[in-house]
Amino acid sequence: MVDFMKRALELASEALSAQEVPVGCVFVINSEIIAESRNIVNATHNPTRHAEINCIDSVIEHCKTHDIDYMSYFQNVTVYVTVEPCIMCAAALSNLRVKEVVYGCANDRFGGKTVLDISNFYDYNYKLVGDLMATEAMALLKQFYKGANPNAPESKAKKEKVSV
Amino acid sequence: MTEVTEPPTKKPKMAEASLENFIENIKNSKKNLMAILSDEFTKPTQFTQVYVGGVNNVQDLSKIIMTLNEKLPLKELQHLKRARKHEVILCSVQYLNTQTQKTIQEYIKEDVYELKDAFKYFKVTSLPAVPPKLKKQQQEFSRVWSCNFHPNAYLEKLCGDQFFSINELIEHRCYMAIAFEVANYYLSKLKDNLLMSDVSESNVNATVVVDPTIKSVVAISYDNRENHPTQHSAMLAIDNVAKTQNGGAWNTADKSGIDNELQSHIKKKFANVKFGTRNYLTKEVLNEQKKNASESPYLCTGYYVYMIREPCVMCSMGLVHARANRVFFCFKNNLKGALSSKTKLHCVPSLNHHFEVFTEFL
Repeated sequence: MVDFMKRALELASEALSAQEVPVGCVFVINSEIIAESRNIVNATHNPTRHAEINCIDSVIEHCKTHDIDYMSYFQNVTVYVTVEPCIMCAAALSNLRVKEVVYGCANDRFGGKTVLDISNFYDYNYKLVGDLMATEAMALLKQFYKGANPNAPESKAKKEKVSV
Repeated sequence: MTEVTEPPTKKPKMAEASLENFIENIKNSKKNLMAILSDEFTKPTQFTQVYVGGVNNVQDLSKIIMTLNEKLPLKELQHLKRARKHEVILCSVQYLNTQTQKTIQEYIKEDVYELKDAFKYFKVTSLPAVPPKLKKQQQEFSRVWSCNFHPNAYLEKLCGDQFFSINELIEHRCYMAIAFEVANYYLSKLKDNLLMSDVSESNVNATVVVDPTIKSVVAISYDNRENHPTQHSAMLAIDNVAKTQNGGAWNTADKSGIDNELQSHIKKKFANVKFGTRNYLTKEVLNEQKKNASESPYLCTGYYVYMIREPCVMCSMGLVHARANRVFFCFKNNLKGALSSKTKLHCVPSLNHHFEVFTEFL
């Protein structure tokens, strides 16, 4: 478990170097990593390109090329992600009926459990486990938010600084 | 009179209308849209139990209030005036219970000694737990107690049924009609003689993104969940907007944010509708030309989003991340909808961005 989270943290650091919000994620089936990614929101100018969404895309791609039914494939997936999935990602993972989600630190801005518990809206809920290497995950986030988001418009970045 | 024996002619059901006719109706109806508001505007007022004391001598009222404000500040009941006629609020029942085991009589007598003889009687009353936001709430509240109230003209209008002017309404209805025309365009490749029910009773969804500052369609998308589980139309629309800003992640649509063939189809049916975006300027260019950041589009900031169906939780949160300004939808999504049916995501106070949501096109 720790090894998978370590890999997710490596991906998160990579995101930080690329001036992205540092979140990394790996998808695991039977102790084997089948997809890994990090945040690419700023690079794609698409605010939905979170690590989990990118991993989902790569699994879909894999299933399509190998003619695998992705719904049954996702049932065996355990997700390791450095930060609690946001409401959007939590909903996507719930729709796909992944087996389990293990996260590092809680996401008190957008969390799909912490801010709005999406399990209230779904019949199916994956097992959710938190607080695995949370300190490391949080340290990366803190490092990022020390500097302003380089892609946010100037005025907004300044405003946020003032309000902090 | 032979007609008497004939059965009454049945009114044709909405679902039997052709899709073409339905789109015309969406476009031409004069019915105003309604905002989907947070529960504080729509649900009955929450009341809380409060101790009230009847004063012996009304002349002492201001002195009593001063003492109470010092010893028993109203805190979470700031929206309520301290006194009404000869009665004053002492504290909430809950507050006293958390402070002491004493009754209110004992508490005043022992802990607010100065007022031990001030009251003729004590009673428990139910008073509004939160401040009134609307005039009609204020009127309702004022029957039980006097409240501090700051009317907000925009909120009053948003809560009414005349929010959009007739010209605004024509525009919103036109863009919604385009969303249906997108479905018509794709569905007609699979089937002839489309009915409204082909859209209303299926998962079909389409999204039209508009920049209201230049009255122009920026991006269009059509649901692709049959082939890809996260390619719902809102998620595709967000990516298509990204393509108009030198970005994008999915290999779909045109770099302009709209599939070329689809665009020419829509242009034929909606001759007056404009397409395209304001110029996208990179941060470097903005700095170089000493321009304000607001002169370049940024994600969906300021954009209006028109959808056939209420977006699901994933899509709704995607639109929050994208900072859409307003979301319009026609059909409710009872099983998965996150802007009305299952929850009102746009009303979650702790999120960092909130858009307005409008519906009631039918």
